[in-house]
Amino acid sequence: MAETMDMTVLIVDDHPSFRASARTLLEAEGYEVVGEAENGIAALAAVRRLHPDLVLLDVQLPDLDGFQVAARLGKLADPPAIVLTSSRDGADYGRCIKESGARGFVPKADLSGAAIAALLVA
Amino acid sequence: MTSLRRPWLFFGPAALIAGGLDVALTLTSNHEENPALATSLGLFVSWSFVVAGLIGWSRRPGNHTGMLMVAVGFGVLVGGLTEANYSLPYTLGGLFGSLFIAAFVHLLLVYPGGSLISRYAFWLVGAAYATAFFAPLFDLMFASRHTCKPHDCPDNLLLVSRDHGANVAQTAFWTAVAVLVLAAAFKLLVGRWHRATPALRRILRPVYLAGALSLLLLSVGFIVTPFSGVGNVVVEIALIATFTAVPFLFLTGLLGTTLARTAGMRAIFREIPERATAGEVEEGLREALRDPTAKVAYWYDEGGHYVDVEGNRFELPPDTRRRVVTRLEYADAPVAAIVHDAALREEPELLETITGAARIALERDKLLVEVRARAERYRALLQAMPDLMFRITRNGAYLSYNAPNPQDLYWHDVVGLTVWDRLPPELADRIIEAGRAAIDRGTPEVIEYTLSFDGETRHYEGRFAPSGDHEFLMIVREITERKRQQEEVEASRARILAAGDEARRKLERNLHDGAQQRLVSVSLSLRLAQNHLRDDPGEAEKLLEGSRHELAQALEELRELARGIHPAVLTDRGLEAALDALAARAPLPVEIVGPDCQLPPAIEAAAYYVVSESLANVTKYAHASSVKVRVACSNGNALVEVADDGIGGADPLRGSGLRGLADRVASLSGKLAVESPRGAGTRVRAQIPLK
Repeated sequence: MAETMDMTVLIVDDHPSFRASARTLLEAEGYEVVGEAENGIAALAAVRRLHPDLVLLDVQLPDLDGFQVAARLGKLADPPAIVLTSSRDGADYGRCIKESGARGFVPKADLSGAAIAALLVA
Repeated sequence: MTSLRRPWLFFGPAALIAGGLDVALTLTSNHEENPALATSLGLFVSWSFVVAGLIGWSRRPGNHTGMLMVAVGFGVLVGGLTEANYSLPYTLGGLFGSLFIAAFVHLLLVYPGGSLISRYAFWLVGAAYATAFFAPLFDLMFASRHTCKPHDCPDNLLLVSRDHGANVAQTAFWTAVAVLVLAAAFKLLVGRWHRATPALRRILRPVYLAGALSLLLLSVGFIVTPFSGVGNVVVEIALIATFTAVPFLFLTGLLGTTLARTAGMRAIFREIPERATAGEVEEGLREALRDPTAKVAYWYDEGGHYVDVEGNRFELPPDTRRRVVTRLEYADAPVAAIVHDAALREEPELLETITGAARIALERDKLLVEVRARAERYRALLQAMPDLMFRITRNGAYLSYNAPNPQDLYWHDVVGLTVWDRLPPELADRIIEAGRAAIDRGTPEVIEYTLSFDGETRHYEGRFAPSGDHEFLMIVREITERKRQQEEVEASRARILAAGDEARRKLERNLHDGAQQRLVSVSLSLRLAQNHLRDDPGEAEKLLEGSRHELAQALEELRELARGIHPAVLTDRGLEAALDALAARAPLPVEIVGPDCQLPPAIEAAAYYVVSESLANVTKYAHASSVKVRVACSNGNALVEVADDGIGGADPLRGSGLRGLADRVASLSGKLAVESPRGAGTRVRAQIPLK
């Protein structure tokens, strides 16, 4: 848990209600939420600007999907850790998650600081 | 009755006895100037009539002509009683001696049928008999002074007066009456002659000629008798000649029928050769029956009607006085019918013999004519078909063709060319392959193909049937319209499938974006609340309150989605309630009429969505103040109509809503029509067959 303390996070999701809930939850668990983005393009810009340690990235976005965003972020010189999330089950995406370069996948309903930390240390 | 059936048995001997009596009376008469001549003439004339009459009577017992001739003959013999030297026979001879003239008139008027054919003729014959009785009666009652030579006549038992004036008066009166009656009879005969058909004239000619001349001479005789002289004698000789000719001409007619029968038989076997056509058979019969107007009709079993020699349907005409129909049957089944001159019925033996002989030929020809009728029918059937038809040899050469509309021909020259000359090579190969397969297997083949025609692609169906050992028939039907409809149906099905996929995608997105997100939020909020439960109960309560609100929102969104999938009210409470619910949710007044009948569930659902989508469109685009919805059943169709009073100008192809509706309605074999004149409201009308 200590490794995740003060970790900066960018939340990328097109639903404001989820962004708000996720911010509250992660901040309560010691993460520092440095920004939010509502689509893929905005997310790429925010990463370049904010350099977060972690990007909580929704798979289903209105422009680029989460996998495309992850691929582009992976090409950055100092890429952030990426955790994909969705209200769908991870199994719905098959091998896409594994091949996306992300650390892992957390279903939105199971989102917690501990779940993210578990992926980051794995 | 025996005498009537065998007239010879009675009337033969009777004529001999009566003739003998006449001879005796004449030869012993003391007031006959020339007994030998009178005897010979009397016997010759009377027996001629009796013999001819008995022959006719025997041949045609049902015909009164022969009987009347016998009566004329006996009438003449009765007149011989006036040769008697005794008062009673003399008086009776005088009284009844003229009745043979009436019988003669009667005979002429019934000839050849044997009965009087008009009321006028009946009265005329009556008048003749009355005159033939009363004229002699008055002549006897008011007789002239010297009527017999060389001796006086025997006493006239009916004498009333020998007053010269009375004698002249009654003679003048009865002469006038007799001449009138004879003239009327003459006129009647002339009229009948004019009206007679050629065949009837052939029968009438000899007897009418002699008979009418006799009537004429009798009239003249009546007029000149009071003035004795050379003229009187000439008239008498002419009269005897024509009068006596009648029985002989009658016999000639009978003999003529017999000869005609033989000639007819000969004509049939000569004129109708072994391989005669039906037309030749008809000609032969005309020749044999001596009726150039006769027509032959053959019974066509398959059609249940008669056909003429050409194989065309022929309705038998009803019998009239001029034309009649004689039906020929074999084993109680109709074979043929001959429409001929009614006069031939007067020659039944001729008709029977000839038709009997012809029946075999007609029975044979019936088959030929049947084949022709069938061929005629098939030809008519083929000509009535709107399709192109080609007869093509196994090697691809066109033999003949039938093009009801020459514009349908891809290439206007046909006969003399091959399929490769007229059509694209690949198609020509397919045609020959299918045609040869039809010939070899003996079963029809079908192919479909397209041709570029006048700048457009047309679809065709070619049917192939063998029409001989080395040729086939190709029937071509354009199916462009059918193909278009088929493509439309397939496109419609594809759109329905796509619409279903789209609806599911939309549903998934709505669930994902709506209720699912809210539930995720609730889940996260509950976890936060759980974390704060002990250290910050106030915060936990706030989070729980937020979660409750989120859950209520999620529930409402789920309800809305469920309603979009299928309205529960339609399933639970029917179309009427579902339409009421739609009207209640609409932001403008909606008047609903119907439904006036129970609809099947699929049609109810379609009707619901037509109204639902139309109301949504009204709300979005129409700027209407009210809407009227009508659902009714009419002529086996369900009608759904949504009419608003908005701005109109709606484009039926705009957006996927109306197209989706049209597809849904089309999937039930129905039609959706949109009328939306600018400024005059929009009317959406769906018509869906109930079965």
